[in-house]
Amino acid sequence: MNNPFAGIGFAPSLVHWLLFTAAIFAIGLYGILTRRSAVGVLMAVELLLNSSALSFVIFNRFCSPAMVDGQVMAIFIIAVAAAEVIVGMAVFVALYRAGRSIDVSRLDHLKNDEVKP
Amino acid sequence: MSSGVVETVLFYVIAAMSLIFALITVTARRLLRSAVALMFVLVLSAGFYVMLAAEFLAGVQVLVYVGGIVVVIVFVIMLTSSVDLLEERPALGRKVLGGLAALGFFISTALVFLTNVFPTATGRAQTVDSARAIGTALLDYGPRGYVVPFEIISLLLLAALVGGIAVARKSPPPGQPLTSGGDLPGEVAFIPPRRQNDPPEGGKNHE
Repeated sequence: MNNPFAGIGFAPSLVHWLLFTAAIFAIGLYGILTRRSAVGVLMAVELLLNSSALSFVIFNRFCSPAMVDGQVMAIFIIAVAAAEVIVGMAVFVALYRAGRSIDVSRLDHLKNDEVKP
Repeated sequence: MSSGVVETVLFYVIAAMSLIFALITVTARRLLRSAVALMFVLVLSAGFYVMLAAEFLAGVQVLVYVGGIVVVIVFVIMLTSSVDLLEERPALGRKVLGGLAALGFFISTALVFLTNVFPTATGRAQTVDSARAIGTALLDYGPRGYVVPFEIISLLLLAALVGGIAVARKSPPPGQPLTSGGDLPGEVAFIPPRRQNDPPEGGKNHE
């Protein structure tokens, strides 16, 4: 089996860029799993979306620089992220009005605790 | 060769700063600080877009993400009065599990990246004028065009806008129907119909 690190220097190649976006995505994943505040979770989701859009542009640059398909996908990701933030923030404001808290570990109103026979 | 060195140094500096700010974003206990760190991550990503010859996308990133999304996030942090609130630290088990999941994701993805050979284009081809090419691609209805997703995105944004307003608007006082917030002109002028037994308004009982 070949050494996977063979031929990788210091100059930023495709693999360097992709490892960077993977690291940002992993940090965002950690944020989603550990945040208590719903706004914090949403900010971590923004990190994920940003890193994936960056990945699209990186592949576009290194694999087919004459086309802009990856950049178009990145624009779509940014638009969807904007829509997601609008709806998420509206839900958070409504939740805060209803319960004075946006702690995701306490938002279990939909869970049926007492099971009636 | 000097431009290559500059690009390399710039890449590592921006990447390191982005990673640090991303870590601050997910670990800061003050949410406002976290939002500012997120803004820095997004601005640095705009710099990366410039390095990747996607200048138009860098402009969109700054306009939409930094100018729109981060501002909305800051507004909501203030509306939910989380400004002075210190977020509770996550439990140790949650931290360990989250860290393990993130690390597992990073290792598996890195293995895929390191063991695959991607079909990179040989040599740096001349780059296209990104704004013009994106514009034609978005409105092209040919086989390589994106006009249908473009229209669907516009519908999605409209639906999100209407949904956001509907969810976040002030709920009506109890007893009133959901559609009547009391702020429409027709609803303000609404007077319940007088019943038959009611005395006439302002009139005296005449014999």
